[in-house]
Amino acid sequence: MFWKKKGKDGGGDALTIFFASDLHGSTVCFKKFVNAAKFYGANVLVMGGDSTGKAVLPIAKQTDGTYLAFELGSTVTLSTKAEVDEYSERSSNKGFYPIVVTEDEFQELKTDPDKQHQLFKRLVVDRVAEWCDYAGQKLKDTGIPLITSPGNDDFFEIDDVLSNAPCVHYHEMEVTEVNGYEMLHCGGSTITPWDTEREYSEEEYKTKFDELAAKVTNMERCIYNVHVPPYGTVLDTCPMLDKDLKVVFEMGNPVSQNAGSKSLTDSIEKHQPLLGIHGHIHEGRGKINIGRTVCVNPGSVYPEGILQGALITVKGSKVKGVNLTQG
Amino acid sequence: MSDTDTGDQRIFLRKASGLIRTAGGLDTFIYNLGLVSVGLGIASIMLYGPAYYPGGSLVWSIILAGGAMALIAFGFITWTVTLPRSGGIYVFGSRILPPSIALTISLVEITAWLFYCAIAAYWIVLLGISPALTFVGYLTENEGLVNAGAWVVEPWPLFIIGSAILTLSGIILASGMRFYLLVQKIVFSVAIILTILLIVVLLQGSNEEFVTNFNSIMGPILGIESPYQAVIDSARENGWLWDGETDSKQTWLVSNWPFLPLVGAAFSIAIGGEIKSVERSQTYGMLGAVFCATVIWVIVAVLCNSVFGYEFLGSAGYNLLEGVGVQVDPTITLQAGVLTLSPLICILVSLGFIFWMWMWIPGMHTFGVRAIVAWSFDRVAPEAWGRISPKRHTPVVAIVFTMFVNIFFMYLFVFSEFFSNIVILIEAAVLAWSIVLGAGIFFPYMRPHIYEKSPIAKRKILGLPMMTVACALGFIASQFYFWTLWSDPVAAGHDPQQLMIVAGVFVIGFAFYFAMKMLRKSQGIDVTLAFKEIPIE
Repeated sequence: MFWKKKGKDGGGDALTIFFASDLHGSTVCFKKFVNAAKFYGANVLVMGGDSTGKAVLPIAKQTDGTYLAFELGSTVTLSTKAEVDEYSERSSNKGFYPIVVTEDEFQELKTDPDKQHQLFKRLVVDRVAEWCDYAGQKLKDTGIPLITSPGNDDFFEIDDVLSNAPCVHYHEMEVTEVNGYEMLHCGGSTITPWDTEREYSEEEYKTKFDELAAKVTNMERCIYNVHVPPYGTVLDTCPMLDKDLKVVFEMGNPVSQNAGSKSLTDSIEKHQPLLGIHGHIHEGRGKINIGRTVCVNPGSVYPEGILQGALITVKGSKVKGVNLTQG
Repeated sequence: MSDTDTGDQRIFLRKASGLIRTAGGLDTFIYNLGLVSVGLGIASIMLYGPAYYPGGSLVWSIILAGGAMALIAFGFITWTVTLPRSGGIYVFGSRILPPSIALTISLVEITAWLFYCAIAAYWIVLLGISPALTFVGYLTENEGLVNAGAWVVEPWPLFIIGSAILTLSGIILASGMRFYLLVQKIVFSVAIILTILLIVVLLQGSNEEFVTNFNSIMGPILGIESPYQAVIDSARENGWLWDGETDSKQTWLVSNWPFLPLVGAAFSIAIGGEIKSVERSQTYGMLGAVFCATVIWVIVAVLCNSVFGYEFLGSAGYNLLEGVGVQVDPTITLQAGVLTLSPLICILVSLGFIFWMWMWIPGMHTFGVRAIVAWSFDRVAPEAWGRISPKRHTPVVAIVFTMFVNIFFMYLFVFSEFFSNIVILIEAAVLAWSIVLGAGIFFPYMRPHIYEKSPIAKRKILGLPMMTVACALGFIASQFYFWTLWSDPVAAGHDPQQLMIVAGVFVIGFAFYFAMKMLRKSQGIDVTLAFKEIPIE
């Protein structure tokens, strides 16, 4: 339009980012995520942390040839190989890790937490490797990078798999360049009641943000790719838990609390980067402004096989549009 | 990190963050029951029922409405189990219907609910504040209070008080969820207690006692020796006809009035994304609210008929609403005060009704706000509508916008004779529900890749997918009430001019969608992508 002043956004080509987070092992969500680049016309894919799932589902083979498994709160019997395959695919799409074992192996695992732990890690690493292979096939020759950082739930064992995968750009606690923009990567979360893999105190986060921000040359074109959302916003609003980790309700509605990072809020307020992309709080879907900084959390409903994401267009030093998607 | 077996369950869990579902069955039940507004149901059934539907059995009409609403709830339960996300019919519709229709039916629905916010504010004044002032004035012989009771239902005072109530709803919602919940918690608890008080008062009263008390109070005021009988006689002289028999057609038509507040029993579809064990919780929450409200209404209707007399309630209501004969306020709140000769009981029962009616306002207001924010996220509404206050963490723009819409509806309702005579928008909302339930019949066949992930995917009824059957039943029930409303000129009807309003809302919805689509296209955004599932290649 002729009356619109040109050049206020600092110029440069537009960059369209598709961002999703907290897939928690859901294979169908990951495949949708990779395909989202073409579907939404994104130049860059960014997967926030928490790629790993939360439960292993043993499919225990019985002496009569059937299998016992677990679904929707109860034990189910699978009679044929086809049923086992169908169950495995369905479970994987919900973020679970199905594995066929004998009944004896199941009973042994049941009483041995260390073996469960090892099994968990093996299955998580295998799933991440499968995902990397899939992304490699689909993104090869497209020029579309898949950038990812870890969340608080991610085992450290996946770092090597992601770092060595072609087409996947794994970054943690560093500042990188993406199509003319700087991206500050910082994973993990603040302290949670579950004592998860990668948690940091506010003091530790402050140090990390200070160090990372010092490496950024132009905050007007910097994207904070930080798993934890800023504290005291709709992006970090989640249900309050009691001492037994049960949700506190009032009048049929969950009582809310904030679970983001105050250090991050301070850093954003101080440095005013162009954009902040966050996850961690599944219920915190939304978009806000902290000063000039646009912050987005697409939320997550991974068990339903639906991928929540954010399609973000930046041009120069402006965020031109944020579209929250459900695909 | 620790891996733990969950007892006999064949699953190994690890400690990991990220709750997704939070509200349980009881929470969902309370949410829905609050939005049914038990008191509003009692007030409207007892005011309009005997007055305009002489011979209509209130008990059977309540049961009929409860049964139909249970079927509608059954259909919505299968929808929300299959797509357990917040947003109501907008989410459901957007998964199977063209985006233009999904947005339009959502707009039609929230227009109706916002209109009903205004009606609830109107009823708070008409059925709560005014009778309380009037009767306390009678008992204390305070003419000022009697005059105040009449004054508050004059157009301007009514509009100002109603607008203040609607503004209060907006302020509370904008102040944050925590404050809103605190207010609702207090209001709900008091409303429940005061409803129990009403039932206790009615249980202890008798028709003889009421007639004696009514005559002793109203006789001197009206200058009539037996005002109870005079009310009945004058109603008959002016056209209120009842032969003492139950009329099945009137029973069918009067069921519109219990059905209207019962729609709140399905409102937990708006918070589907926040409910854990969604199948069980939504089933208990929706059907429990329908059952509970139905039982309370049946009890109150039986007691009111017994104590006040069906003929008297019908006559008094008819005289007042038609402006004929011997006019006395027929509201239950006032009559409970007459029965006990207690200004305190009158005030308390009135407060109970007012609080129940209040429950509707922020609840329906929130429904509209959630939908508008969802549109904004999908870029089919201006981005500003979804803006969140950094201080209060609430979508203030959407709240303020809908608040002004509410006040605009209040203005139309009070000052326009045309709008004051309609509640026809309920037909539009029921039609919108019907469209979504109808679409649900075909969902398992048209979207099998989504339906197969539903926990009810393998359940069959008569060899058909459970969702198909449930939505078919819900579709039939919603169509039944669409046509019941259509056939009832008191509750809704089909006046051509009024139907133009319904058609107009649909047209506005379509026009709004296509205008936003074109605007977004000019900005390089394809809004239809927000509604589509990402294909996996």
